[in-house]
Amino acid sequence: MRPYFEKMDEFGHTLKKGRIKSTEQNLNSIQKIEEEVAVEVNRVKLAGFPEEKINARGQMTVWQRLEYLVDSGTWCPLHTLYNPMNNEEGTTNVIDGIGKISGKWAVIIGFDNKVMAGAWLPGQSENILRVTDLSKRLNIPLVWLVNCSGAKLTEQEKFYANRRGAGTPFFRHAELEQLGIPVLAGIYGTNPAGGGYQSISPTILFAHKDCNIAVGGVGIVSGMAPKGKFNLDAAEEIIERAKQFRAKPPGSVSIHYDETGFFRYVFEDETEVLDGLKDYMKDMPAYPPKFYRVAEPKEPRFPIDDVYRLIPLNPKRVYDFDEVLARLVDSSEHMEFRPDYGPEVYAGLCKIDGFLVACIGNRQQYLGRNYPEYADYPGMGGKLYRQGLIKMNEFVTLCGRDRIPIVWLQDSTGLDVGDAAEKAELLGLAQGLVYSIQQTDIPMMLLLLRKGTASAHYLMGGPTANRHNAFTLGTAASEIYVMHGETAAVATYSRRLVKEKEAGRPLEPVIEKMNKLAKDYHEKSRPLFCAKNGLVDEIVPLGDLRKYLEAFAGAAYQNPKSICPQHHLILPRIIKG
Amino acid sequence: MTQEILAPLDGKVFQLKIKAGDNVEEDQEILVIEAMKMETPIFVPCDGTIREVRVSEGDEVKENDVLAIIDE
Repeated sequence: MRPYFEKMDEFGHTLKKGRIKSTEQNLNSIQKIEEEVAVEVNRVKLAGFPEEKINARGQMTVWQRLEYLVDSGTWCPLHTLYNPMNNEEGTTNVIDGIGKISGKWAVIIGFDNKVMAGAWLPGQSENILRVTDLSKRLNIPLVWLVNCSGAKLTEQEKFYANRRGAGTPFFRHAELEQLGIPVLAGIYGTNPAGGGYQSISPTILFAHKDCNIAVGGVGIVSGMAPKGKFNLDAAEEIIERAKQFRAKPPGSVSIHYDETGFFRYVFEDETEVLDGLKDYMKDMPAYPPKFYRVAEPKEPRFPIDDVYRLIPLNPKRVYDFDEVLARLVDSSEHMEFRPDYGPEVYAGLCKIDGFLVACIGNRQQYLGRNYPEYADYPGMGGKLYRQGLIKMNEFVTLCGRDRIPIVWLQDSTGLDVGDAAEKAELLGLAQGLVYSIQQTDIPMMLLLLRKGTASAHYLMGGPTANRHNAFTLGTAASEIYVMHGETAAVATYSRRLVKEKEAGRPLEPVIEKMNKLAKDYHEKSRPLFCAKNGLVDEIVPLGDLRKYLEAFAGAAYQNPKSICPQHHLILPRIIKG
Repeated sequence: MTQEILAPLDGKVFQLKIKAGDNVEEDQEILVIEAMKMETPIFVPCDGTIREVRVSEGDEVKENDVLAIIDE
């Protein structure tokens, strides 16, 4: 298939000096938001005890462990700002992302041992489930850096139980293992109760000499046999037992290496644990990249930083989607699928790091007087019409057949509405796209360039497609809401306005509420809100987007569950005609 | 050489960023048309000088109306 992929159609143009001049403010505004995000990321990094204090105890921090473990330049953090339960610690207390270890992609997650010795906090199990789902979707190893003191007992009611509570990740570990996906764990520190299961549920355990894992730790063992109340005698007894168990906590290496053999390996130094993980990662199941690459990897022909000038921060401003895509894909080349049909949707085959990926995005410009063909009004990009929906249904279905991972690039105001749109079957075609995605069983990722709105956010590979969506990235320009705040205010209060008017009452109180609602929508759609609440898995600087695309493509092709030989691909033949 | 800059769609001139006599550079944004809740920026196709501006902010324009004329 070399003739198809070695040299595809070039697209995109060099930015001219006039455009550069006109977009300086946009660039500065986006970078200012990125700086605000960076401040928050740094705050998470600095949470808990300072690094020096942890190091003085002879321990590395989770960040130092990650730095040592992950191949340089490959770390793509996820969920850094995720804190859906608004923990005072400012974090769910796990740090995770995708990175290479010994040249192989893995999903990597570690407890932040600077914060309450890596305790379970509210929202953490949901974070971990996103991570186990990611490993499952990409079919790549999950690597844990366990250092978990167990539940933050003063808030246990928020996370201990429930369908997706703190015990659920243990079932997910079992699920991954049953699917043949290895879960490796480096284990440090004291890991009682929940921490014990965090340690025992992975596939192979690499232990540091000072670690322990146990059904119950010092605190629990010291406090067994409740007497109904506490008094001075009880306190003295607790003190005595605590001293005894603290000297030799349950489940140390002498038990779980020498007696049970749960620990496969024990290492003297912290870094040796990580070396052990690296050594195993060398042998994890993976195809060499040449097995799946369709061409040599190449950088885009245009600088990625152009994207700061191409994507307007103003959500009403139209732009040229193709120019953005040309800054993200190898050689700025593609094979576009049905370019003369459904002009509001871009669909095409591109290369990322030499791997074939399918890209689907929203074109933004005016679509002309004769489109959509079913209506007497002109179409505007960003919205979805009949042809665009049909095109996406076809393209996704063919990608599933050809086993081509999909990158969705979303910036949509939603579907066309009104009786003409209903007659044109948009509702059925939209749910048809959901059906098409669901039957593919291929990894997808979403890059939310700007607006994620209405049902289009669901349909176009959004996180709600969570059997397929590996992760969703936001940008400084991203905003997510069911509809624009002003639209929501009209929808909520229009009848009230009519009533007040007819009753001869003043409209100002209603208008005030409308403005408040619109403002509230704006604040609850901003990138930091989206990241904190998990509406996106990470806010990524525009300059780093390609790095994430490379991680996605590399991981998706590392050990895919099924193969379509390149010479059996049908989609490039259909495009060629 | 003179070039006419045409409106690509029906709409209202939302922002006007140039006046006659201004020097402009290729691909510079000179005005914005608002239509269908969206703002469409208009760029000049070449370096040059604005000879004439035929619209004002707030004007309604039709597709293919001449917005401005530029001398290359």
